[in-house]
Amino acid sequence: MGITTASTDPFAPHLVVWSFCRFGWLLLFLPSGLSAGDPVRVSFVNDVIPVLTKSGCNSGVCHAKAGGGQNGFQLSLLGFEPQDDFESLVKEGRGRRVFPALPKRSLVLAKASGMIPHGGGVQLAEGSEGYQVLERWIREGANFQSQDEPRLESLQVTPTKGVIAIDGRQQLSAWAHYSDGSRRDVTRLALFESNAESMATVTARGLVQVSDIPGKVAVMVRYQGQVAVFTAAIPLGAALGKMPSPHNFVDQHVFENLRQIGIPPSAVCDDSTFLRRVTLDIVGRLPTEKETQEFLAAEQSNKRDELVQRLLKNPGYADFFASKWTPLLKNRRDEASDITANFAFHAWMRDSLLANVPYDQIVRELLAATGTVVGNPPVAWYKRVKDPKEQLEDIAQLFLGVRMQCAQCHHHPFEKWSQDDYYSFAAFFSQIGRKPTGTRGEDMIFHKRGIATAVNVKSGDVLKPAVLGESVGEIAADEDPRLQLADWMSSESNPFFAKALVNRYWKHFFKRGLIEPEDDIRDTNPPTNPELLAALEQHFVKSGFDLKELVRVITQSKTYQLDSRPNRENLKDRQNYSRFYPRRLQAEVLLDAIDDLTGSPTRFANLPPGTRAIALPDNSYNRSSGFLKVFGRPESQSVCECERVKSSSLSQSLHLINSAEIKRKLSGASSRAARIQASKIPDTEKVEQLYRLAFSRSPTQVEMTVAIDYLQTPVLDAAGKPANSKKQTQENYEDLIWALMNTKEFLFNH
Amino acid sequence: MSHPFNASGNPCPGPSARRGFLKMGLSGFATLSLPGILRLRAANPEASRREKTAVIMVWQPGGCSHIDTYDPKPNATSEYRGPFETIKTSVTGMHFTELLPMQARIADKLTVLRSMRHGSPGHPAGTMRMLSGDTDTRDKPKPRLPDWMSVAHYLRSGDGPRENPLPAYVGVNAPTTYNGPAYLGDAYSPFSVVGDPNKPKFVVPNIGLSDSKELGRLGRRSSLRENLDNLERAFDLSGELGALDEFETQAMTLLTNPKAREAFDLEREDDKVRDRYGRNTWGQQLLMARRLVEAGVEVLTTSLRGPLCGRVNNWDDHAVNHHVFDALRFRSQAYDQAVSALIEDIHERGLSDRVLVVVTGEFGRTPKINYQPSTGAGNASAAAGTKQPGRDHWARAFSNIWAGGGIESGRFIGATDKKGEDSIERICGSGDFLATIYQHLGIDSSKITIEDFNGRPTPIVDGGKPIPELIRKN
Repeated sequence: MGITTASTDPFAPHLVVWSFCRFGWLLLFLPSGLSAGDPVRVSFVNDVIPVLTKSGCNSGVCHAKAGGGQNGFQLSLLGFEPQDDFESLVKEGRGRRVFPALPKRSLVLAKASGMIPHGGGVQLAEGSEGYQVLERWIREGANFQSQDEPRLESLQVTPTKGVIAIDGRQQLSAWAHYSDGSRRDVTRLALFESNAESMATVTARGLVQVSDIPGKVAVMVRYQGQVAVFTAAIPLGAALGKMPSPHNFVDQHVFENLRQIGIPPSAVCDDSTFLRRVTLDIVGRLPTEKETQEFLAAEQSNKRDELVQRLLKNPGYADFFASKWTPLLKNRRDEASDITANFAFHAWMRDSLLANVPYDQIVRELLAATGTVVGNPPVAWYKRVKDPKEQLEDIAQLFLGVRMQCAQCHHHPFEKWSQDDYYSFAAFFSQIGRKPTGTRGEDMIFHKRGIATAVNVKSGDVLKPAVLGESVGEIAADEDPRLQLADWMSSESNPFFAKALVNRYWKHFFKRGLIEPEDDIRDTNPPTNPELLAALEQHFVKSGFDLKELVRVITQSKTYQLDSRPNRENLKDRQNYSRFYPRRLQAEVLLDAIDDLTGSPTRFANLPPGTRAIALPDNSYNRSSGFLKVFGRPESQSVCECERVKSSSLSQSLHLINSAEIKRKLSGASSRAARIQASKIPDTEKVEQLYRLAFSRSPTQVEMTVAIDYLQTPVLDAAGKPANSKKQTQENYEDLIWALMNTKEFLFNH
Repeated sequence: MSHPFNASGNPCPGPSARRGFLKMGLSGFATLSLPGILRLRAANPEASRREKTAVIMVWQPGGCSHIDTYDPKPNATSEYRGPFETIKTSVTGMHFTELLPMQARIADKLTVLRSMRHGSPGHPAGTMRMLSGDTDTRDKPKPRLPDWMSVAHYLRSGDGPRENPLPAYVGVNAPTTYNGPAYLGDAYSPFSVVGDPNKPKFVVPNIGLSDSKELGRLGRRSSLRENLDNLERAFDLSGELGALDEFETQAMTLLTNPKAREAFDLEREDDKVRDRYGRNTWGQQLLMARRLVEAGVEVLTTSLRGPLCGRVNNWDDHAVNHHVFDALRFRSQAYDQAVSALIEDIHERGLSDRVLVVVTGEFGRTPKINYQPSTGAGNASAAAGTKQPGRDHWARAFSNIWAGGGIESGRFIGATDKKGEDSIERICGSGDFLATIYQHLGIDSSKITIEDFNGRPTPIVDGGKPIPELIRKN
């Protein structure tokens, strides 16, 4: 398409004349304390830093690189610390960096313009707009701040919203608003970034170019630590035809969005597809033969709703969702002796889900856990996650969808979070007392009496607990600050807590979060359907943080029940839920499904026979099961769901096709093939049964014919005689089961 | 659906669309019943098609100190110059350091590019720059763009079903941390061999079934499956199902063809040849690379990492990790022997036109020596706290080695300044590096774009031209 996202030199020479005129005009309007008629002086904070930022001087790989910058010249990341930058430029480097007597001789200009060799190349060509700003600032004496210099208060992008046609363009303007009420066009100095480059790119000057993919896209604009967002709808504008009738508020919002951008949804799927889909998604297993027969035979109109209710009462629900949560909570077996803690923690999570303990309560029990692992299993989280910094980072990312890691060392580049925010969050974990117990590595956790504080390692300031910029009030020495944090989280008006959860669960059922990645929620990464997200949040809070209710509302929606097969128009849709996006079964679910189909359960050490992979308490079983490892069951190292591998690979195919593990399951003495061979029912009935097991449906006429042909064609041995019929029949059934197991229809939830 | 390849301005129809290939691959697979497999065995795949060019990339993870190896600066001050003597090579005017006597002897068979330069001095960004051409200088945990190996694999797949039983792209202890197929999907990642091929009982699992009964059954099963697998693939835009199909095809081929097993079997090499490469991990790794490429692998990467590097298992010779000079000396013998053996062998076995060998890391090392306390004792590192020399990341100037590929050898290209700090002549960037490799594989990188997940055409090289001196002569 010939669109580039950013020019390497934003102050390209051919625009110098025009742009300098414009800039000069801007400078005249610069708010300052000087009386009218005085020439306006260049401000370090308001003029120089933006030039350094736009030119990339203070990016993380150049002079803002941690631990000394480049060649001894250190700047703060993206200019978040202007005072430090001023010191560095004016006072360090033996005063050679700026030279007011002969500004052009200043090292900063000579290097940036390539007059003398510069590792970073030419960033500010001589005479360019940025060069002139720096030169003038130096000539004027290289001052930090003049008296009463106005402060930047906010950034505004115009327009903030828009509708852009496919292949269309939109020019954005960035406006800086100052403390004295003035404003200034900073389009040429701001940084622009698209959140989906495949849908829209944006140039260094703020020109948005949209591609041919319909949906919602956002452009983040950054200037001097302030951020603003432009969001655009890119309509396809196709005729919608007949829409499914909405079942609940989920459908209203999804269908409204589809109407707005003109993408017709696929039709609602058939009963077999729905049964298999929803059973896999709620209880993490295939429907049984009996469940399939009953569901397909049932005639009442609300049978899908009832199925959802039944599944939510099934213990498989707790097993499946515990397998989602416990890796994120790092229930990891590092040493053999961890087993007690691993089992206790997993049982606590599973039982909480089974009893449908409200989500805020589960989080509170974990967050404010005290005592010993045996007495109070959620304490096991504090066994695995010991450092207060890791505690705050995990809690923020998992339960609030906020990634605070950046703010440990510098101001978050895309967010308002500062180092103060980071350390005042850490302060909640500052009064955790630990006392060794009889079990190595397991401490008893208690509240250590005292006022909670944490030190900002950069400023040295002592900070009281505050969470994401909000104070939770005074906390007495006797009070455990973690309880205050839990209260803050579960308050109805909390903007993060419910949102993070509903978005995470939405992704579980739809493959793509309304915000992606699901745990990176920020103003600059807006949801694709904000109304839907808000409605889900509200529903979840109103229901008393009822997880089962959330699952019910999602899976009973028509949206969840759309066919995965696209129509002509929604083929390119990836974010509007106009059809069901198929997913490969995750490692544990696939292993269980293969066990069910082959009739050969996997045995796991130290666990009772019949324990399914989905119910495994921790990662140690990945070592004993080649299958789970190859198919990417997580190792409980990360708080991010992305640790779970979802893609396919050659080793997976080799495993399914030819591993000893699969061969044993197919041909064992008590395998399904052995039993089916011995059974007296006709072959057609046997094939029916296998299809119901694998796909929750009957075979088509063609499939039946192919299968029967295969089963009944005699096979000759090496001597040309018909093979031993009993053995051959079993082998034929093994082959049929192998074939069904290796189809896409089996390997995917669709 | 639009075509994934867009050979703009080129009337040549170019490679077929990915889906098209998929169909071909599938129909090929569907006929892979027993007679099909036997036919495959009987056929001589070499005879039936034009020989394809291939690339072996030997990777120095962490980055090799150029000034201590291929670009010595004997006249620099002691703050820069290391302790190594400069030696003559078989090419007049070309000098290496004493660490590379064997390569010096065969310098007429290789070309040194001394003027590489890019702006990504972190391991993730540097690796993504060199392997996938990502010009984003920020360090990211996962690559945004596919590496050249998976791109080549993908484009070559478009030529039609592979007759050779070996995978087109194999990694022998390949670099995998900061590179991968990105939006091309896992189908285009390498068949991965991991472990120490120098170990006496080293075998690659799950290749080449030898039992004919088992083979026959596998053939019957898979044709039955093909007949039954009628789930509509139309919904597969994420490429995941496509990847699955291709993996299955590959898996079946690996399982059914004996040539596969033989190609990985170093026992079939003469002892003298094995000795010549060096009886250590690196030597046998490079020997396996040559064996596989000779047998038809088209893209092969192998990373020289592990204990042979010194304490931290890679080339990241900061003073905190290694005593840089001890480390270079520690690994130089195995390195020099393996690389020189590979280059010579390629020439002797008549592969020097078809096979291009590239030796590089993600960047060079700081010419100015940096003394810092060690963080731990071990091979090539003094006890913790001992001040020792190190060299840090340096992307402004570094060298890489090219051999075979029909290029004119026995020369060096470009130059750095007196201290080895900046490339000053014939400066080449990662785009040039990649375009040169693509050129050897018959891929015109200036014309080809590939659609990403959402169908956006993305150029495979964003700025960069094949380096004329490194293009085949005829």
